[in-house]
Amino acid sequence: MEIVRAFDAIWAARWPILDGIANTLLISGLSILFGTALGVGVGLLLSYGGRIVRFFVRVYSDFLRGTPVFVLILACFYILSVIGLQLTAFQAGIFALMLFCSSHVGEIVRGALQAIPPGQTEAAKSIGLTFRTTFFSVLLPQALRQILPTWVNTATEIVKASTLLSIIGVVELLLSVQQVISRTYLSLELYFFAGFVFFLINFVIEKAGRIVERKIAIPT
Amino acid sequence: MLRKLSTFGMAALVLCSSGSIALADKLQDVLDRGYLIAGSGSTNAPWHFKDENNELVGFDIDMLRLIAKGLFDDPTKIEFVNQSGDARIPNLATDKVDVTCQFMTVTAGRAQQVEFTHPYYREGVGLMLMANGDYANHAELLAAGDDVTVSVLQNVYAEEMVHAALPEASVDQYESVDLMYQALNSGRSAAAATDQSSLSWFIAQNPDRYLDAGYGWNPQSYSCAVKPGDQRWLNFVNSVLHEAMTGVEFNTYAASFKKWFGAELSPPKIGFPVEFK
Repeated sequence: MEIVRAFDAIWAARWPILDGIANTLLISGLSILFGTALGVGVGLLLSYGGRIVRFFVRVYSDFLRGTPVFVLILACFYILSVIGLQLTAFQAGIFALMLFCSSHVGEIVRGALQAIPPGQTEAAKSIGLTFRTTFFSVLLPQALRQILPTWVNTATEIVKASTLLSIIGVVELLLSVQQVISRTYLSLELYFFAGFVFFLINFVIEKAGRIVERKIAIPT
Repeated sequence: MLRKLSTFGMAALVLCSSGSIALADKLQDVLDRGYLIAGSGSTNAPWHFKDENNELVGFDIDMLRLIAKGLFDDPTKIEFVNQSGDARIPNLATDKVDVTCQFMTVTAGRAQQVEFTHPYYREGVGLMLMANGDYANHAELLAAGDDVTVSVLQNVYAEEMVHAALPEASVDQYESVDLMYQALNSGRSAAAATDQSSLSWFIAQNPDRYLDAGYGWNPQSYSCAVKPGDQRWLNFVNSVLHEAMTGVEFNTYAASFKKWFGAELSPPKIGFPVEFK
């Protein structure tokens, strides 16, 4: 009975809910994309930067990783507007998630690069490879295999963190479902539905990650 | 001397006028912009929520539309900023909205951060009963003493709150509104205690199924809020709300009240203004 009502409610609100799903995918996709690009830079600077550069990038990374995403979102939305940069809730949200993502990806990249024995860099140098060639032909292919599983993990974290954007009024999946709950009072059923959709999104990301992992694995 | 004084006067004048230029004139800004930027939520019926057509509706929304109508003679000249309850004060402080109407309880603490308008609703806690149940009103519940179980939303003060109205009743706390109503439907509780507005709305939605026990307590005022320091804008919003409750827009206000709370309001007595009686 309640289940039927819940399905009815979801079907009646299918367009707004689909809008919410699209928003969740867009927010997560853009944050992961920009966050990864920025994060690779952070990781490289952490690994190869000079002392002073390393110090500042370390502060950046530690600060962002040590701050709750929630606080980061509020800061991007309100503090930036106090200093005159008026971002929409959507832009501020993506900006916050991008910063959060970049700090995590930065650490992942740094960790993967440091896990490669220094002997390899020395060997590359001794046969006369430049830093560029060493990096792209020797270090990066190995590091990528290390990076991928943890990167997929970060991606799913970002999808889940995107629900926090509802606090600044971005109508992502969770808020679009909450809007239906406020009209129908079917909270248990609809929260379960929202949870299931989030699981599906993350399941697809994880599966895709596994497939790529298998593709780039060293053949045994 | 005279010269010095006049120079000083000029300087003061310049300072004053530049000061007044810097002073916000929100009313003019909004009129120039051509639409109102209004803050409210989207997840609380009957205050601000999405209807089946995904339109933002509710009593708060109607109040905001009245303000837009007052500004532009067109209730649709409005842009809604969807905000959570926590964002109400920050969004005013950072000028993300011109005005917020979002079932905001007036407290002295909040009044130090925003400026409240006239209240447009008096919220309280009420009791909802089944229409075909054992009790018909608050007096009967009270007489039944500890035979009565009341369902209520989980809250630190829930027990204390119910006992203020029914000192002997036992209290069952539930995590969400639907569970609380289900307890009432299934007979686990004789009454559900929650915000009067939610009850009125729910009763209006399910005619003949539920009853209002006719007793309200824990009063609180709901007001719109604006950023502090702009008296002209505050006065304007106040005028709109005041005239909605007592003057030219009374019929609009009353129609909205009937729609969301299911109650008819009698028009203010003609003659001496009711509010000064």
